[in-house]
Order: sequence, then structure tokens, then C-alpha cells
Amino acid sequence: MNRRISCLAAIGFMLFCSRTWAELVVEITKGQADAIPIAIVPFSSPEAAAASFDVAKLVSDDLARSGRFRTTDRKDMIEQPHTGAAISFDDWRRLNNDYMVVGQIQPLGQDRYNITFELYNVLNRQRLLGYQISANKPGLRLASHQVADMVFEKILGIRGAFATRIAYISVLGSLPHKDYRLIVADADGENPHVVMQSNEPLMSPAWSPDGQNLAYVSFENRLPSVYVQFLKTGERRRVSAQAGVNQAPAWSPDGKKLALTLSTRDGNLDIYVLDLGTQALTRITDDPGIDTEPQWSKDGQSLYFTSDRAGGPQIYRVGTQSGDKPRRLTFQGSYNARPRLSPDESQLAFVTQEDGGYRIATMDLRGRGDVQVLTKGHFDVSPSYAPNGAEIIYASRDRGRGVLALVSADGRVQERLVSSEGELQEPAWAPF
Amino acid sequence: MRDFLREHSWAVVVSVLLHGLLVAGLVFLALNSAHRPPPSLQPLPIDAVVVDSQVLHAAQRAQAERAEQEAARARAAAEAQAAAAAKAEAAAADETRAAEEAKTAEQAKEVEQAKAAEQAKAAEQAKEAEQAKAAEEAKAAQQAKAAEQAKAAAAEQQRLIDAKKAAEAKQAAEAKQAAEAKQAAEAKQAADAKRAADERARQDREAELRRQLADEEHRRAVESGPLRDSYIARLRNRIQNAWIKPPSASVGLDCLVEVTQIPGGEVTGARVTQCNGDAAARQSIENAVYRASPLPDPPDPALFERNFVFRFKPNE
Repeated sequence: MNRRISCLAAIGFMLFCSRTWAELVVEITKGQADAIPIAIVPFSSPEAAAASFDVAKLVSDDLARSGRFRTTDRKDMIEQPHTGAAISFDDWRRLNNDYMVVGQIQPLGQDRYNITFELYNVLNRQRLLGYQISANKPGLRLASHQVADMVFEKILGIRGAFATRIAYISVLGSLPHKDYRLIVADADGENPHVVMQSNEPLMSPAWSPDGQNLAYVSFENRLPSVYVQFLKTGERRRVSAQAGVNQAPAWSPDGKKLALTLSTRDGNLDIYVLDLGTQALTRITDDPGIDTEPQWSKDGQSLYFTSDRAGGPQIYRVGTQSGDKPRRLTFQGSYNARPRLSPDESQLAFVTQEDGGYRIATMDLRGRGDVQVLTKGHFDVSPSYAPNGAEIIYASRDRGRGVLALVSADGRVQERLVSSEGELQEPAWAPF
Repeated sequence: MRDFLREHSWAVVVSVLLHGLLVAGLVFLALNSAHRPPPSLQPLPIDAVVVDSQVLHAAQRAQAERAEQEAARARAAAEAQAAAAAKAEAAAADETRAAEEAKTAEQAKEVEQAKAAEQAKAAEQAKEAEQAKAAEEAKAAQQAKAAEQAKAAAAEQQRLIDAKKAAEAKQAAEAKQAAEAKQAAEAKQAADAKRAADERARQDREAELRRQLADEEHRRAVESGPLRDSYIARLRNRIQNAWIKPPSASVGLDCLVEVTQIPGGEVTGARVTQCNGDAAARQSIENAVYRASPLPDPPDPALFERNFVFRFKPNE
């Protein structure tokens, strides 16, 4: 009898063994492109002076504007903890928050403040970040963008670009009294500073790789010239004033050269490289058509540019060594212009014409050259990549007025920057 | 038959050995084929075995507890019976004592009566001393007779008492014997009960194992059927809808996450094991599992799995 039991037991065990092998494996092949729910709890501030700046609101706005986060409304917060120890995770999870940020702002005296913040994963209660940033009152805005950057990077694995700047041209008034301004602002459009003002057109701002200088085209002497301006001091110098056209400056990756478009005596436009140290000019293209809007590759070995040598404007690439033959990159559609290379060089953004409108498109440079049109406006032009490559800023028109807009590099998120007065044109996103 | 065996003894031995080998071989094959080849993923055999052995332990524990309870019951009954016997004995002793006391009291009464009679006689003698001298002898005779009568009565009384005592002693002995017999009988009954309990426990154990086997068979039947496919499809949908893909998670990502759920579908653990993605991808995957909690109920309870492995392999 006992023998029979042990026999049964042995068979039972065997079945249990095989059961462990049968452990279910489920394959997930799709995901949602949803925004990640996050709560930025208002930071506590012991003094009214500190409270006059709302760190949490700025962080929350940054994350929401990126389109990758859905931030929880303050009136939906049943409590407002300021440290991790005070968080009731179950409650926050019930409100569908995946992550939350808590923090405090403390005055240190002499106009200095400490921002302390922590990032938590509500789902598994893990503390992901804990930092303290010290800033003076004007620096609180930048410090808040830095908080948003850290949160963004921790959750998405992409460096945040909230604490960066943009440059753009703002045009006020109407002819004959137009007012052109070159403006540098925070990436969220706030904190704008006029760095150059003129009654003649200003065009094509371009950031130096170190973010300290801007090159741009100014018609201040009625003729186009290229200037380089040192932002800290406002000191500027004219670097190119050739006869005819001087336009579309682009910094080489080492910051020592500018690629630009110059015209020969017969009015033919070609790409040149100007050595800023020696003033030496090197001609890169030589074609009867228009070659313009150059952009450097990261290694400085080639230039992407627009040319109408085949009829309509298309994008080409050419080596910076003389004598290299340009190679055409775009073949879809009759209009592809203004190439901009993504920071990791995996994508090329440009303006394409579709259904009679101008739109921002990207081309995959690593795979089969797939083209994706990202925007749906009628006049979406002048794309410029954020330094993290996640977004593209561009100029658009809203009810007849020039505005700035953002689209994520994969096209799934679109935002509009709240603009101040004026026609906004030619945005250029600064490096980190 | 015996002749046949003697004539073919070698052949018989060889044949028996061959059959033995054949049976052993078949059993070996059967055992081996019962194991399915391991999938590419190394699952958590330890976890699952722990879970299963707990089930087994629980069953065994329950049986042991049942047997123990039976034994305790038998023990309690035997104790109660022993207590009853002791009480009966004590009652018998009480009775004996009471009888003896009664006897002593009676004796004292007799003595007193006799004394009273003597006193009466003395009084009579004093009173009747002056009476007829002739009656003196008769009186003396009468007195002697009365004394004799009193003595006889006392003797009779003593005899009765002795008889009663003997009877009582006999009764006590009988009661004691009866109690002993009863105790023995009860002990035997308790032993029988224990044997019966053991047998029941053994049967329960066997039934439990059979039930587990039947469950297992049922389970295997459902597992290979369309119900399992539909369950997997529901799980996949649920998790896919909960996964917020980070930008870094694109074609080429391939991650395994081990999931633990409890009945009702609540996720109690999610841990990415093998993964070629970055920290953000890993986190998004673990979060997807938590966000999908509670997981859908299986269409058949036999399909419930405490431990899952989800494979995240985006194809777009």
C-alpha cells in the first residue's frame, strides 16, 4: 500500500516538474504612443519670497509641452507631500500616476535659494532621483528647466533640452517701417532678449557649436553681409561682405569655419567655406543652378545643401574636399529644401511640398531612406533640431501670422510655442 | 510444468531477464518523454517547485492534523472513562464507610438501651426490695433471663452487621472488577478508532494525490486547447495597451520580464531579466505590467499561472 502511494507521489512530482517548463511566455509586439502620466506636486516654500516663483508649474509645463508626459492637474491632488516619506503611493497610483516629483524651495538668504526635489516611480515605489540645486532668484527659471531635464532623461532615456535656448527673427510693423529683431529666448519661448535690432532685414541665425556666438545675415547696409556676434558682450564683426549675395551661414563642427552661399558676378549661387581665422574662401560647388542652405556633417567631411540643378529644388550631399561630385538624396516630390541633420545623424529634416503646402519632413539616413511628412500646415518652413534630437522647431503660420511650432522627431507630438507679438521666423535651436 | 521448467531453466531465466530489461527500458522512455524540451527561456523551476511543494505539504499537514485530532479524541474518551471508574470506586468506599458508621451507632444504642434496662431493673429492685421476698428468686431468674435475652439480641445484631459487611465488601470487589473490564474495553475501542483514523488519513492522502493528478490532466488538456490561446491573447492585449513605449524602444528591442500574480490577477512583482534595451526601456516594461494589474482572469481556473514571462519584442 505504501509503495503505491510513493509511486503516485513520484508521478505527481514529475508532472509538477513538467509544469514548470510550461511556464507561460507572452509576446508583446506593440506599445502605445501615449503620454506618461506624472504628477509634479507644488514645492513647499517657507517664505512668500520664495513662493513667488512656482518651480513645480514650470517643470510641469515643460514636461507637458514635450508631449511625452501627461501632467496631473493640481486640483486633482488630494494631498501635497514635499518629501518621499510623506507620499501615500496607493492614493497616487489610484489617480493613475506612474511617476511623481516632490520638492521644496528654501531661501538661503542673500537672494539665494535651494531647490530640493525627488522623483519617484509610483508603481513600484522606487526613488529614481534626489537632487538639490542652488540658484539666485533670476536663476530659478533655469534651475527649474534643469529639474525638468533630469526627470525627462531619467524616465525616457533621452537628455532633456528644456534648459537650452532658441534664436529667432521677429518682424514688427509694416513697410516702409519694419522693425527686425534677432531674439534669444529660453526653449519654452520665455525670457526673450533682443540681441540685434535693425530696420533692414535680419536673416538666417546660426549658433556656433559652443553656443557662445550667433552668425546671421544683416542687410543693414542695404546689402547682405554675414556677421558673427559674441552673445556675452554683444560685440560683433562682419565676416563676409562679398559682392552680390552673402547668405545662409553654417558653422563647421569645430567652430572655425563657416559654410555660406555666395554669388559670382553673373549671379550664380554656389556653396563656399570661409575660414574664420584666415578669411580664406574655398569653393565647394560649381554649378549653373542655385546651390544654397548648406549644413555640415558632424565629422566636417561633407555638406548637405539645396540645389535646383535638376530642375526643382532637391537635397544633395557633397564632400568638403574640392572636386567631389554632389550626390542627390531626395527623389520624392518636386520640392525638397533646407536640410538639417539630426544630432545623431540618423535623420535629415527638410521642407517638402505636399498638396500645395510646405511641410516639415524627415528622411531616414540609416535605413532605406524612408520619408515621413511630420506636419500638416500650409507654410511650415525652417526646421531646426533640438540638441537632443527629440524635437524639431520650425516656423509656421497661424491665421496669417508667423509663429513658432514644435514637432517631435517621430511626428507623433505637435506643439505651438506661445509667441509674443510680431512675425516670428527662422528659429534656430542652440546646442546644449 | 515442473518438468518443463527443469528442462528449460536457462531459457526461462534468459527470458525473464529480457522481459525485465524491456520493461525497464519502456519505463525509462516513458519518463523521459514526459519531460518536454526546455524552451529557450530558462524559467524559474525553483519558484514553481516551491509553490507545488507547498501544496503538497499543506495536504500532508492537513492529514497529519486530522490523524492527530482523532488520536486526541480517543485519548480524551479513555481519560473520561478512567475518571468515571475512579468515581464509582470512591462511591463504593463511601457506602462502606457509611454502613460502618451506622453499625457503630446501632451498637452504641444497644449499649445505652442495655444500660437503661439495668437502671430500670435497679430502680425496680430498690422499689420492690421491700416486696415479697418470695418473689426475689423469681425476680432474679427473670433478671437473668432478661440479661440473657439482651445478650442474645446483641449477638444477633453483631451477626447481622457482619453479614452486611461481607455483602458490601463483595459488592465493592465486583464494582472494581467491572470498572477494570470496562477500561480494558474502552482502550481496545480507542485503539480501533486510531487504526480507523490512520486508514482514513491514508485514503485521504491517496485521494488527494489522485485529485492532483486529475487536476493536472485537466490542466494539460486545457493548456493545449483554444482556451489557453484566448487567455494568452487577452493577456497580450492588456499588457500591450498598458505599455507606453519610450522612444528608445523600437524594432530590435527584445526583453523578458518575469511577472508574479496572485489569484484575482493582482501583479505582485515584475522584474526585467534579459533585455537589450536601456534603463528607460526596462522601466517602461516593468511599469506596463504594473499598469496592467489586475490581469484578466483565465477562462478556466486551471489555466491560472502564478508566474509568467512576458517577452517584449516590438515589431514596429
